[in-house]
Amino acid sequence: MMNMELLSHLRVIEIAQGVAAPMATCRLADLGAQVIKIEIGDGDWTRQCPPIMAIGGSSTFYALNRGKKGVHFDSSSVSVLADIKQLVQTADVLVTDQSSDKLSLMGLEGVDDDVCLWNDKLVVAQLSDFGKKGPIANRKGSEVIAQAMAGYTRYLGKIGEPSIRLGADVAGCSTAIFTVQAVLAALFERERSHQGQRVDLSLLNSLLSMKTVHLAAQSDPDTFEGPRVGGAFYPPERGWQTKDKPITFAFGGAVGEQGREGWVEFVKEIGLDHLLSDARFDKTGRLTTGLGPLASELKSEYEVAFKKYPSAYIVEKVREHGGFASVYLNHEELMSEQQVSEQNILVDVQTPEFKTQVLDFPAKFSTFKPIIKKTALQQIEKNHSTLKTKGQD
Amino acid sequence: MSGPLSGLKVVDVSIMAAGPWIGALLGQLGAEVIKIEPPAGDGTRWVEPKQNGMGTNFICLNLNKKDIILDFKKNEDRDIALKLIAGADIFIQNLRVGVIDRLGLGYEAVNQVNPKIIYCSVSGFGEKGTMAKEACADFIMQAYSGFANTNGHEGESLEAFRFTGFIDLTTSIVAIESILAALIHRQKTALGQKVEVSMLQASLEMQYTQVSNMLNTRSLPRPLGSSSQGLSPDGAFKTLDAEIFVTVFNEEEWSFFCDALEIPELKSDIRFSNNIKRVENRKSLNALVNEIMARRPSVWWLRVLERKGVACAIAQSFEQIKYHSQVQANEMIKEVKTEKWGNVYVGGMPWHFARTPGEITPPPVPGGDTQMVLDQLKLNQYSRDLN
Repeated sequence: MMNMELLSHLRVIEIAQGVAAPMATCRLADLGAQVIKIEIGDGDWTRQCPPIMAIGGSSTFYALNRGKKGVHFDSSSVSVLADIKQLVQTADVLVTDQSSDKLSLMGLEGVDDDVCLWNDKLVVAQLSDFGKKGPIANRKGSEVIAQAMAGYTRYLGKIGEPSIRLGADVAGCSTAIFTVQAVLAALFERERSHQGQRVDLSLLNSLLSMKTVHLAAQSDPDTFEGPRVGGAFYPPERGWQTKDKPITFAFGGAVGEQGREGWVEFVKEIGLDHLLSDARFDKTGRLTTGLGPLASELKSEYEVAFKKYPSAYIVEKVREHGGFASVYLNHEELMSEQQVSEQNILVDVQTPEFKTQVLDFPAKFSTFKPIIKKTALQQIEKNHSTLKTKGQD
Repeated sequence: MSGPLSGLKVVDVSIMAAGPWIGALLGQLGAEVIKIEPPAGDGTRWVEPKQNGMGTNFICLNLNKKDIILDFKKNEDRDIALKLIAGADIFIQNLRVGVIDRLGLGYEAVNQVNPKIIYCSVSGFGEKGTMAKEACADFIMQAYSGFANTNGHEGESLEAFRFTGFIDLTTSIVAIESILAALIHRQKTALGQKVEVSMLQASLEMQYTQVSNMLNTRSLPRPLGSSSQGLSPDGAFKTLDAEIFVTVFNEEEWSFFCDALEIPELKSDIRFSNNIKRVENRKSLNALVNEIMARRPSVWWLRVLERKGVACAIAQSFEQIKYHSQVQANEMIKEVKTEKWGNVYVGGMPWHFARTPGEITPPPVPGGDTQMVLDQLKLNQYSRDLN
């Protein structure tokens, strides 16, 4: 296996801010592409986002923009527009969160046609909050707004209480991953057709695509059983309490109607034999553990025994009997797990200025290894000739 | 409609969720996908809820596929699988680590019949290490990877997402990103390869910003209600009748926001003079905004904020969002007509390619394509023998 810059022959221009587009181009940089980020006016809003790193600067901005070169323009003067157009004319990929109107104002009219009028090999990933068409296409959205509109906030907290969002930036990160897919698929196709094309993506679209399990479940179910149809009305899910930490667990299985055996022996071993004669409990554990339709209702029956033992013991016993289990970990605990260090998930960063770690590319390839970029965004001087030269480095 | 991957063939022996959705999306990108189920059947067929007797998970996670049934424990069936694999571009499996090798379809065996194949192997915790062979599922990885630990009201303990399958599907989309990278590598080098994707790494990728912030600053991600770590105001605010969700990204919008709420004096309040300060003083700012917003109905605030160009919206339920004109205009939800189980709503395609759009096609009937695929295989073999 060799370290490899898979996309080293490609230039990517990013005219975007926030999480989705910058994270996508960051991963394209990790795959070897030369990425030039264009910022206009106040610049990317994540520059102003806490937490701030010890050496100064937003941690979020560093994480999303490492490995890129950057050009910052104070305004959209005629010479600036010419510079931007020249960069895009020589690019293979444009990733942008700008609308057609804004792209035109930047001198890029026609760049988001089905095939770019003046660079027909260009792959354009055009991201928006709510989609390219439709009555609110030009309205502004955000991470929490996408989560709320896609119905995600209904599956946390309790009905009637203040809403809760997912702490993770799931709209931004999922759209970033879909954007990398879109760019790579269009590049793959370009190799065969010798033509680029535009691909539209949006935060709301990403979250609704990822909602397919729930959309299907709520179409016209035979019965309204289980969290996929009723989860919005369930109490907050905090797992099964043990002597120390909460755990989650399940018996059942992935193949066939009955699934794996193991539940019967498990309940015997931890002193819950009486459940074997309790009609509410099926004898596979499928309905009363994990996401089973009765799991939430019958949780306390298991906790009677679980609270006598530490979490690690219950997890071990579930696994011994063929079930699935985990303690709920925080990120500090996770990072100290042996499995995490054995997986080489983190890449060390040590520059003269600072020391940190970044997440490795989220897959392992048997023939090559992406080279994770560590350097903070490097600003290119705004001088026209410098830009022309450095942009083409 | 041909997608960007038209002409490619996929053999998918995965079950449940994280594996099967990979094939479904590759199908929407234009590839031809053959799902091979074991005789006992993919467990999602029996997962609740069902529609006309079929698990809706099976329906939505196996779109755009043909479906055949083979028993890999029988030599003749395994040979059929290897013949299909010999003509394929991509192979997908997500059985517990070690099981696929025992069934004779591990990477070495597959590579022998087709060295150009992209072999995508999905696991829970990775294929090496002390936990490699542990079984995993969506809610297990929510707990293990810290995903659940960042959800909840501020000051309260963790809360899992009662929205099932999210980490499963996250694993699927990370796998597709990686398969596509491997396809481009193959275009350049003519080499196939194995691509390993774990639910653990996928879950961390979905938490990219939070995990990066922890690594860079040692600030542990924690529940913040509807607020965020990086922006303020950003979250849900209670109006006279309902909550609305609002985000202010920059100083210009902060100024507009203060005007919309008719509290211009906040612009010069040093506690809120920039985003970093507003995040620091989030609690007092949120209390102030909540107190003002509670005086008027949601529609009032939505209108005044929209006029000022501040991001705002109201939460939607399934019944509301599926008829939303914005969702329909961009085909974000698709109604699929199945052969046996009626019409089912599924998530729309996440990308819209202007020139090679691809499409969503209905799910197969389990085993419904076995004879046709076997006949095709014989026909191909026959024509190869003739040549």
